[in-house]
Amino acid sequence: MALISLMIAIPLIGAIITFLTRTRQQARAIALISSGISLIISLFLLSRFSSSISAPQFLESTQWIASLGVNLKFGVDGIGLPLVLLSNIVIPLTVVFAWGETKQANQFYGLILLEQVGVLGVFTSLDFFVFYIFWEIVLIPMYFLISLWGGPRKDYSAIKFFIYTHVASLVMLLAIFTLYFMAPPVDPFTGQRTFDMFYLLNSYQIIASPILKDAIFLALLFGFIVKMPAVPFHTWLPDAHVEAPTAGSVILAALLLKMGGYGLFRIILPILPFSGSPGKLITLMAIIAILSILWGTFLALAQRDLKKMVAYSSISHMGYVMLGAAALIPLSVSGAMFQMFSHGLITCVLFMSCGVIQHSAGTRIIGNLGGIAKHMPKLAFLMMAGFLASLGLPAMSGFVAEFLVLVNSYITLPTFVILALFGIVFTAGYHLWAMQRAVFGTYNEKLGHIHDGAGYEIAAMAILVLLIIFFGLNPSPVLNMMTTNANQLVALAAGLKGVIT
Amino acid sequence: MNYTLLIPEILLTILALVIILFGLLMSDKDKNMLGYLSAAGILASIIAILGTSGSASFFYFYNSLVIDPLSQVFKLIFLTVSLLVVIASIGYFKNNPHQDEYYTLLLLALVGMMVVSSANDLISLFVGFELASMSTYVLAGFEKKNSLSLEAALKYFIIGSLSSALLLFGMSLVYGITGSTNIPVIIDYFRANPLLAASSLGVIGIIFLVAGFGFKMALVPFHMWAPDTYEGSPTVVSSLLAAGSKKMGFVAAFRLLVLFAVAVVPLRLDIQMAFGVLAVITMTYGNIVAISQRSIKRMLAYSSIAQAGYISLAFVVTTQMSVAGGVLLALGHALMKGGAFIAVAVVAYMVLSDNKNAKNTDDLENFAGLSKRAPITAFSLLVFLLALAGIPPSAGFIGKFVLFYAVIIEAVARASSWLLLVVIIAILNSALSIYYYARVIKYMYVLPPTGDKIKEPTPYVVALVLAVIGTIGIGIYPEPFIQMAMNAAHVLGV
Repeated sequence: MALISLMIAIPLIGAIITFLTRTRQQARAIALISSGISLIISLFLLSRFSSSISAPQFLESTQWIASLGVNLKFGVDGIGLPLVLLSNIVIPLTVVFAWGETKQANQFYGLILLEQVGVLGVFTSLDFFVFYIFWEIVLIPMYFLISLWGGPRKDYSAIKFFIYTHVASLVMLLAIFTLYFMAPPVDPFTGQRTFDMFYLLNSYQIIASPILKDAIFLALLFGFIVKMPAVPFHTWLPDAHVEAPTAGSVILAALLLKMGGYGLFRIILPILPFSGSPGKLITLMAIIAILSILWGTFLALAQRDLKKMVAYSSISHMGYVMLGAAALIPLSVSGAMFQMFSHGLITCVLFMSCGVIQHSAGTRIIGNLGGIAKHMPKLAFLMMAGFLASLGLPAMSGFVAEFLVLVNSYITLPTFVILALFGIVFTAGYHLWAMQRAVFGTYNEKLGHIHDGAGYEIAAMAILVLLIIFFGLNPSPVLNMMTTNANQLVALAAGLKGVIT
Repeated sequence: MNYTLLIPEILLTILALVIILFGLLMSDKDKNMLGYLSAAGILASIIAILGTSGSASFFYFYNSLVIDPLSQVFKLIFLTVSLLVVIASIGYFKNNPHQDEYYTLLLLALVGMMVVSSANDLISLFVGFELASMSTYVLAGFEKKNSLSLEAALKYFIIGSLSSALLLFGMSLVYGITGSTNIPVIIDYFRANPLLAASSLGVIGIIFLVAGFGFKMALVPFHMWAPDTYEGSPTVVSSLLAAGSKKMGFVAAFRLLVLFAVAVVPLRLDIQMAFGVLAVITMTYGNIVAISQRSIKRMLAYSSIAQAGYISLAFVVTTQMSVAGGVLLALGHALMKGGAFIAVAVVAYMVLSDNKNAKNTDDLENFAGLSKRAPITAFSLLVFLLALAGIPPSAGFIGKFVLFYAVIIEAVARASSWLLLVVIIAILNSALSIYYYARVIKYMYVLPPTGDKIKEPTPYVVALVLAVIGTIGIGIYPEPFIQMAMNAAHVLGV
């Protein structure tokens, strides 16, 4: 049964139908149904998934371009399935949250579904060529979401997002070409080559030149850290977020950033132990991680715009993913994977809160808000929950992830973890400070009479908050899936123990 | 001798003569059917060529023409572009009293291009070039009362004649050295006497050939005619020039220069290096200048120069893969660029139906809100522009993918840093081009419309939809096209 291709095809068909609908009622209904079917399929995959196997499951493979050795090969393992699940949770909830969209609704929902197609393809394809195509497809709907529904500086932000991440993809493509060429042909008699992801990653070890190995590694890493994004390649993110519509921001932060993180675990970690100078590269990754954590935190502290603050907090949170990956301890790696899942849920709540406030109060500038809890009690409650989850309150999913990353990374990267701990204080600081100024305190009468979020907005956020608390109290359903793969990745690097300082 | 393989050329020549003859007797209104007749003839030729595809080579007329996979794939490119152009012309030249001349010239130009792609002899190559050029000079100036069109035709004619002269001079030098005009004989002679090829006479001959082909391919610094000509010509003719006749230079250069580079070892690296420099300058110049254009036809002209730069990467490494990539990108470019110009023609139609005396119909401002005014055109142009930028899954992506990949393989295999540099520049260029393509997309989809929704004329819609299907189809199912291109490259023995 080609369940995974079905899961990708349904939103694609849904998107085409949505584009052709005439009324927004039809458009949003079709969007919800098709993304919902995709969710059901992924839940079915989850129920049949065996956490004790590290190899990809539900494999399917169809020949596509024989002369280049391209196959439509799909499968999920403990790295991909949680993110597939996350995508399928976030997209329907985004549709629910954006239920009231009136401007060109058919195109709006259609583009959201296309995003779903793109990210699901990235998280499931096991062929580099197909992976790259989905990786690029994601850009176009997001470009349109920003430039059609965005804020005042949408043109600049949309094109910056497009070109910045496209350049990164092309650098990654360069590395993929080199990998493809350096790998021995699968069939020595005909010289037939293949783009099969695992085959190419395994062939990385037999490349003789250490410099070439490092060059490939860095080119791939560049492709991923721009997407994550990590400091110093993060500058497209705040612009894109500030101008994007709420639904766009949610998808961008919850799913598109995870593509970069996914690349770390799927591609970077398997080749890291065999690179030319693994010790230096691990240090490099750790430095990037710490820079992202601290830089993101301090910039978030300085923001006046609530949404920009949340955008910088994303950079900081994705830094933990990088840190956990670089530490190469079983629980730090699975913690980093869990951080991606958890951040995907939490950041949705944060961006949705910003969206509701912007819509209702007409501003997101923290200084111009104040005491809005008085008129927006439901929003204030959910927003508070989201902010507490984001700052790492125990019993919420963010705590589990960051705790696992920090405690376990200390074993191999103690200096960096101590540096990261400084960030935590300020993380708590900017979250609480923003809440205090914007949501609580005395009501700013200049805002006039503002109303609470619409029922569908509150519903979407409430579901997310429930999920955050559920996975905070009981992370094992998702964490178990990840552990087997994390152990396997760490086992690959077993020979490196002496190298890491 | 079996002439069935020449049926397409024979059919189209007869059709051209029939049209000009019967055109004299027809009323202006009846002439509207001539477009359908031409389209039918081209379609029949396409079917005939697809039916005879094989990997063998057949020689005709004392070895002056050859039918092989390379000639067939380029004939398909020329026929496809002409088919799109003819279909769009049914709308563009509706009720024009000179339609008979238009279709005759177009078909003769097409026959000229097909002769060039089959040419196995310097003389037949030159005759083909001239037949196509003469016909397109007239086509470029077809709007006799439009001064821009006349300027375009004049510039095209003068530069075209100059390049023909250069080409002819180069050919005469080569003939002087080798004593033959037959391309395989010339190549064999040079292979046996590499020192003669590397002599000053031989090098000058090659330089003139490169310059002559460079003009036809519109490589920088031989490109000056292209933007003016594409801007001024009737838009459907621009489509034929940019997407079709330009590829003549490529097929001729494939046949002559790639073979030459393979055969003559002492000069191989020089030729590759020369094309490396030309390719890098061409793509960078084309992309940078395209950014500042307000006229979409000029922008497409510069983007077409940039694409020619990418295609010339095929000469930089002269491997089977690189030539195949060049052929694929030429095929993709024919569809994308041909379609894009036709979309511009729809916009011109739209603007002129608002205001009869409108000038600069291809100005960027006229594309504002196109997605509301002419949704099919806007969507098609979106597909073409993204494909030109190399976004998957599209013909443009596959072409660039194979091409860049071929160069990287050589760069790694030879451990050559300058080849790697060439690819990196090409890739950065590819990213740079998104900037100006995305600006048009922004105008079409983001900005508010400046007029009412129009009914898009059916001929244009048919041409656009066919080009979109081709562009995306090659992207989704590239295997047969890659095979075709690999077979074509195989002919050159690379």
